[in-house]
Amino acid sequence: MEQFFQQLTNGLAVGGIYALIALGYTMVYGVLKLINFAHGDLFTFGAYLGLTLLTSLALHKHLGPFLGVLLLAVMTMGLVGVMGIILDRVAYRPLRESPRLSAVVSALGASIFLQNTVMLIYGARFQVYPQNILPKIVINLFGLPIPLMRVLILLTSVVMMAALYFFIQKTKIGTAIRAAAIDQGAARLMGINVDQVIMIVFLVGPALGGAAGLMVGLYYGQINFTMGWVYGLKAFTAAILGGIGNIPGAMVGGILLGVIEALGAAYISIAWKDGIAFLVLILILIVRPTGLLGERVAEKI
Amino acid sequence: MKKVLFVSLILCFIGGTALAAGTVKIGLMGPMTGAWASEGQEMKQVLDLLADELNKEGGLLGKKVEILSEDDSGDPRQAALAAQRLSTRDIVAVVGTYGSSITEASQNIYDESEIIQVANGSTAVRLSEKGLKYFFRTCPRDDEQGKVAAQTVEKLGFKNVAILHDNTSYAKGLADEAKGLLEKKGINIVFYEALTPGERDFNAILTKLKAAKPDGVLFTGYYPEAGLILRQAKDMGWNVPFIGGDATNHPDLVKIAGKDSAAGFYFLTAPLPKDLDTAEAKSFVAAYKKKYGGAPNSIYAVLAGDGFRVVVEAIKTTGSTDPDKVADYLHTKLKDFPGLTGKISFNEKGDRVGEVYRVYKVDAQGQFILQP
Repeated sequence: MEQFFQQLTNGLAVGGIYALIALGYTMVYGVLKLINFAHGDLFTFGAYLGLTLLTSLALHKHLGPFLGVLLLAVMTMGLVGVMGIILDRVAYRPLRESPRLSAVVSALGASIFLQNTVMLIYGARFQVYPQNILPKIVINLFGLPIPLMRVLILLTSVVMMAALYFFIQKTKIGTAIRAAAIDQGAARLMGINVDQVIMIVFLVGPALGGAAGLMVGLYYGQINFTMGWVYGLKAFTAAILGGIGNIPGAMVGGILLGVIEALGAAYISIAWKDGIAFLVLILILIVRPTGLLGERVAEKI
Repeated sequence: MKKVLFVSLILCFIGGTALAAGTVKIGLMGPMTGAWASEGQEMKQVLDLLADELNKEGGLLGKKVEILSEDDSGDPRQAALAAQRLSTRDIVAVVGTYGSSITEASQNIYDESEIIQVANGSTAVRLSEKGLKYFFRTCPRDDEQGKVAAQTVEKLGFKNVAILHDNTSYAKGLADEAKGLLEKKGINIVFYEALTPGERDFNAILTKLKAAKPDGVLFTGYYPEAGLILRQAKDMGWNVPFIGGDATNHPDLVKIAGKDSAAGFYFLTAPLPKDLDTAEAKSFVAAYKKKYGGAPNSIYAVLAGDGFRVVVEAIKTTGSTDPDKVADYLHTKLKDFPGLTGKISFNEKGDRVGEVYRVYKVDAQGQFILQP
């Protein structure tokens, strides 16, 4: 039983990261019906930019670990968000009126471009975050040792998801985003600046991906330029699992995927854990073709 | 105007080929991009350095040596294309590549084109069991490594051993080899599974491993995962000894794991350049440091250098670039050639003969210490 709960916390930490990345996929899909394949590479950029800022500014030394990392996260998110806007301008906006397939191909191209850009800037070797930026505290929960970092990852993901949900549901810009997601033409007729809405989507989605990159760097330490592929694929799966275009869905999908992987590895076979995760995905899609929370087709995002 | 352009183009072409005819061309196939790009780029640095040195000393057979490099991206499909491109460019021999499954995709292409291939990091047993006349490798084979792994486990006195691999043909081959030998010695294999390379969170695997209560863990995969596993095991407060295969031999292992987590980690490898006291190895490392500002990180890049050096030696001694003569020389006449990684001789299969593997242990400062 202890092993079960241990594995559950393992899965929740991994799932939190999947969920954060999945939010970026889901937001872009919700508004543009486009799978932004370059999202995983923006996540990689987040990890690398975070490392550069961390080592060059050393904020955690001046401001203390938690405030320093918080400021670092804000800066990383800002930079990756701006990269997202540039990506949209360069790779997607010129193709807005083209068939959807062109934009998908452009997304794949952007992904390869960004991945190799990281390699050329930072080199092909693994980069490592300095250790012990955040103090290694282990919380004892009902006799179960849980590293504080893992709780923080999950907590950060949930808080960001909640903030995003509030932003989409309760603010004026959020309403505009939802309107553009339902019908761009009608939204335009209502006086909504759809281009601006898309820009905001490409600011917020990649920013969350960048935050996830920073978290992976801080927690696991080791980053390299191909890391976006595995995380991107898993997060994309999570977004589909929860119902793509749906924000709580991305969160549920991510956490569920992490937990399925951990429990599958624990009780069936480690080598089969991805197979098990994808089997569950197929089964869920057979029963619910739009994903777990994806039923509200009329009001996506 | 068009005509002038055409003629000058033709002239350029003729000039180009005439110039190229004055060189001995040796190919390099390595992962310049993709997940193993750091290995491939270092392989190229080593070969460029050795070719420069050779050309300064007057080249080979009175001609300059030229290195033609192609990128295999660490991907078998890319490797087949790279091999096809290289084999049309009039090369005598090719050095590379790193991964076994990547080399396998290119072997037959080079064999059909009668090009000598000297692999530098491909340790899978079956590569040299196909009877290919022009295939050689400077790295040892996995059956040799499995033997040393089993001996090490026995020497450390483990009764219950866990084996973890990553399903690549190299890691699984080594894991199977070691498993068979350990079972013969009466050692219990309490855990035998594979992780997914490229992932970062191995807590689920470690939790399961810990529950199997092994005395030691043999991990046959690569250093990025090994580093993370050591770090995450330490974070879990689990101090079980880990033994790694030769793919864990990389300074980045310590960087990724952190010194305190990496300390006590054993791994098997061909001896590191720093532990070779031959004059060749010392002057090579010094020259490399001078040109690139640091010692080579990967033993496989140095083994690629040895591949280049044996080919040069064979061409020099036979006075010919005929592949049959060169291959015959390497198979039968090259004995105890002073390589950068020790003495080199090849058997009739093209495998390097002799005891190559050593056991290393990481000390508290993160240094790799040769074990007696």
